[in-house]
Amino acid sequence: MSVKLNKKTKDQAFWWWYNGNLTGFTHQHMQTFGFMCAMIPVIKELYKDDTHRLRSLKTYTPFFNTEPQIGSMVVGISVGLEEARANGHEEIDDEMINGIRAGLMGPLAGIGDSLIPGTYIPILLSIALGLSTDGSPLGAIFYAVVYIGTMTFFMKYIFDKGYELGGRAVDVVIGEQATAFRESMVMVGTIVIGSLAASWIGVSTALKFDLGTYYNAAGEQVANVLRLQDTLNGIFPNLLSLLTVLFTWYLMTKKKMSPITVMLILVVVALVGVLIGFFDPGLSY
Amino acid sequence: MEINIFQALLLAIMASLTSVIGALGTTYSWYTLSRPLVASLVVGLILGDVKTSIMVGAAIQVVYIALVTPGGTVSADLRAVSYIGIPLAVAAVKGAGLNPASAQGAGLAVSIGALVGTVGTVMFYSTATMNLIWQQIGWKAIDKLNYRIIYLTNFIFPLISHLVIAFIPTFFITYYGTDIVANLKEWLPMDGIPMKTMFTLGSLLPAVGIGILLKQVVQNPVDLIIFFFGFTLAAALKINLVGAAFVGAMIAFLNYKIIMVGAGKKSASHEEDL
Repeated sequence: MSVKLNKKTKDQAFWWWYNGNLTGFTHQHMQTFGFMCAMIPVIKELYKDDTHRLRSLKTYTPFFNTEPQIGSMVVGISVGLEEARANGHEEIDDEMINGIRAGLMGPLAGIGDSLIPGTYIPILLSIALGLSTDGSPLGAIFYAVVYIGTMTFFMKYIFDKGYELGGRAVDVVIGEQATAFRESMVMVGTIVIGSLAASWIGVSTALKFDLGTYYNAAGEQVANVLRLQDTLNGIFPNLLSLLTVLFTWYLMTKKKMSPITVMLILVVVALVGVLIGFFDPGLSY
Repeated sequence: MEINIFQALLLAIMASLTSVIGALGTTYSWYTLSRPLVASLVVGLILGDVKTSIMVGAAIQVVYIALVTPGGTVSADLRAVSYIGIPLAVAAVKGAGLNPASAQGAGLAVSIGALVGTVGTVMFYSTATMNLIWQQIGWKAIDKLNYRIIYLTNFIFPLISHLVIAFIPTFFITYYGTDIVANLKEWLPMDGIPMKTMFTLGSLLPAVGIGILLKQVVQNPVDLIIFFFGFTLAAALKINLVGAAFVGAMIAFLNYKIIMVGAGKKSASHEEDL
């Protein structure tokens, strides 16, 4: 006799995860409770006696943490494996389930972080910012609708895929084709971020050199002022913004500084720049 | 501009819900409602000035465009940036009589956002620490198979942490803080060193957001060429962001094809060896 989970129970597992993957977060057990909450409806349906229920609930007590949206795949896989275990597949034990969980959480965190907050969100936000330049709410609405819509669909899709594939899902995640796809997606993200940096960062200098005066064609005396910003724009438009980005990248990557430290360094850069006259917003009330 | 008790309460509720570990879940709260651009619409509706709020929010959004939180390390919990920073920045920009769409208005907004962002980091680590109390209760419930307590541990008890650590501070900072920032011009002249520094900092900070992303995707300095290419599209060729996305997609498509062709050849030659 083989047990098959109700569609309703699988949906419950998905939505508990969707709504609660990080809500009980501590640094000791990041997503462990969220994971257990998703498995409870499954365990309750598959097993009727407390001994089995307790054994299966305890399977999901080890530490769990990954990028939670792409991580819905691991929940799907666990639901599939738990169902197979209830059907008497003896090779599926705590060790096997947790081997897969622990083996996937690292790679999926890397893939999820680089693709979702690292690529997809910046692209969507770049487009949304373009829609909101004049203070229009359109960009905010666009982002919210598109992000929630696509992400919910994506999470449900990979949850179902994980359930169908069970343990075989591992090959799909770290296969050659998946890697090539991921690298290409990151490439689009990097290009868009480059454009975004050029459009939205405007570091400029107020430094100018007085080179005396000269006589123009009409014989009038004209002040000859060299504006450094004009010279820099002649070399490459928005050069100072590009250099500032590279500077922060250098500090974070090569000097291993945290973003907060880099921000503090920029406070010093701004202060010194203002004192020597390199920066001057030139404002008045 | 003043914020009344009712408005401050609404802002405090939003700050409680929208942390990376907020009560509304990752997809709705952290990746949507806490994004400064989306939050600025909510804040604008609460304050009754959507236009100014969105211009301010858009400027702040650039700094946090590529915020990745690897392994539970949070460099800025956006709930403070969004639901304390944006209201204060709106008040400051209006108080100083600046055009929020100007580089100066954006600069002031970004500086205030970053300042408040540090408060958010403290809030994040405090909430996570306080949740340890609830997890202690949760662990005891597992052996007794008390499902209800497990659900409460994950969904309801943490609300107490948010109440203490996010709700109360946000309420007081937004309620009393707007008066202070709105009168900025009385005690800080625009041509003085502090204000000049603050505006300059505002123009520099968005670079950190971009730097964070580059750190993620650029392992080899040669990969910076991809970033330079995107920068050139907008800076020199004046292509807009949607256009840049399509150019990027085309290049990525070619990249994918090339890798797959290379992979196909490898496996083909491997078969010949056999």
